Amino acid sequence: MTDMAVPIDASVQQTVRERSRALGSLKTADRIFHWLTFSAAVFVLVLLGAIIISLVIGAWPALSTFGFGFITSERWSPAKEIFGAAAPIYGTLVTSLIAMLIAIPVGIGIAIFLTELCPPALRRPVGVAIELLAGVPSIIYGIWGFFVLAPLLKETLQPLLIATFENVPVLNAVFAGPPYGIGMLTAGLILAIMVLPFITAVSRDIFQTVPPVLKEAAFGVGCTTWEVVRNVVIPYTRVGLVGGVMLALGRALGETMAVTFVIGNSHNISASIIAPATTISASIANEFQEASEGLYTSSLIALGLLLFVITFIVLASARLMLARIQSKTGG
Amino acid sequence: MNSPAMTLQTPEAVTPPGPEKISVRNLKFFYGANLALKGINLSLYEKHVTAFIGPSGCGKSTLLRVLNRMYDLYPNQHAEGEVLLDGQNLLDPHQDINLLRSRVGMVFQKPTPFPMTIYENIAFGIRLYEKPSKSEMDGRVEKALRGAALWEEVKDKLHTSGLGLSGGQQQRLCIARTVAIKPEVILFDEPCSALDPISTAKVEELIDELSSEYTIAIVTHNMQQAARVSDYTAFMYLGELIEFAGTNTIFTSPQNKRTQEYITGRFG
Repeated sequence: MTDMAVPIDASVQQTVRERSRALGSLKTADRIFHWLTFSAAVFVLVLLGAIIISLVIGAWPALSTFGFGFITSERWSPAKEIFGAAAPIYGTLVTSLIAMLIAIPVGIGIAIFLTELCPPALRRPVGVAIELLAGVPSIIYGIWGFFVLAPLLKETLQPLLIATFENVPVLNAVFAGPPYGIGMLTAGLILAIMVLPFITAVSRDIFQTVPPVLKEAAFGVGCTTWEVVRNVVIPYTRVGLVGGVMLALGRALGETMAVTFVIGNSHNISASIIAPATTISASIANEFQEASEGLYTSSLIALGLLLFVITFIVLASARLMLARIQSKTGG
Repeated sequence: MNSPAMTLQTPEAVTPPGPEKISVRNLKFFYGANLALKGINLSLYEKHVTAFIGPSGCGKSTLLRVLNRMYDLYPNQHAEGEVLLDGQNLLDPHQDINLLRSRVGMVFQKPTPFPMTIYENIAFGIRLYEKPSKSEMDGRVEKALRGAALWEEVKDKLHTSGLGLSGGQQQRLCIARTVAIKPEVILFDEPCSALDPISTAKVEELIDELSSEYTIAIVTHNMQQAARVSDYTAFMYLGELIEFAGTNTIFTSPQNKRTQEYITGRFG
């Protein structure tokens, strides 16, 4: 309208000054807040770094003595001070794999039932039961596994598996040997039960984020519930699902107490999943007390470092996988 | 029902009524114990566009959701009365709901592309009912996208995600997806409320074209839109059908005082 500067009223100037002073003190608070949150974030990084460094220092004698052989050798002989971590690594991976093979379909299945199919009256009780399952301490799973589940499997499932696959190539090696009850299969089952609530709870929560109108649209073209779940709900929630599964896998890899009870604690690599074995965390928990100073202790710490690395690789590959999926479908 | 308020007229001579595709007979609808539709009677004529107008909460969207039984997804909602599709009561509990929804398609207020590629968004629905060969499917997808005036804009990116399109394009994709299944009736629930004016014009044009092949029902808050796209208009208020007549009649000489007040913007 006009390019002439409008003279500013003195009272307006006064208000502006007062406000800028008031804001100034707020800004100081803002800066303090910024530094507080920033140092909290840095603290986590420092803590993580400190743990890694102490693990590496502790593991160094073992790693420098055995070199790469530490992860390839199966031999674990405290008497002769020869240590190889292949057996616990193998046991950790196989038990976690068994757990995930069971827990993923069952967990996601429960979540689908709860969100899409369940009569409202049943929804809460089942949901609460799942959450309670997550609250059971792992030691309880351990003693239950040792005193109840393992003998039961020894009498029933394991002989059945051995007899069934006796003449099937490959599978007869997977289900070979005397049924001890304890072993990788039992540990895998216990782990599956333990991670099931994680997978179910996370999947249920993210299934609930699917916009009802999107589901209606899918029903609107004539989809059945199964088709809606398979083609809309799961693709829509893919990222979250993988996240939930990885959380569960992380727990399965590191779970100690329950596994130690039922794994058999034997440094063996066997093709048979019925055979007793050990996992990284079970070995550490079992042997730390008796470990003499020096190479034995260092080897146990090195095992811990390996578990750390494995967990990291699992998380990183999950990220990578997600990035691939996303670039393929554009989100 | 307060019958004096009802003025059912024979639609004007300009658009002679075709056969009735859908006949709604004394339809009552309940959300729990809450009566949302208080005995509706009206007809959707074959290959004509019927618009539903009325203030928010009047039951027009509810009525639409009865026509393909979308309410079935929610356990505490139920309908009483009769809705005849080609003479068959679709409220019959033995009605095959998936089949019904393949005959009565729906386009929603917000665009709802499925989390898959543009091509798959269309092919997915077709595959539910038919197993065409690859080349046949390509043809069907192209035809559907052309039908929704979207082909030219997406033909080079058919295999990218449908979520990457603009809102207007997504809505046309949803229309294409609905059309691809070859329904007989298409329900539009405020299809333009989330769209800009240009996209709105495109969708309206599309509805006009589609009306030569399909029976169409559209819920809209935009009275100009109702006037532009529809042959018949139903004015609803508080769960009742106040007036149902040819669109020209409703907008030029409404018989009911409430209708007149609503279309002239005095309440609503």
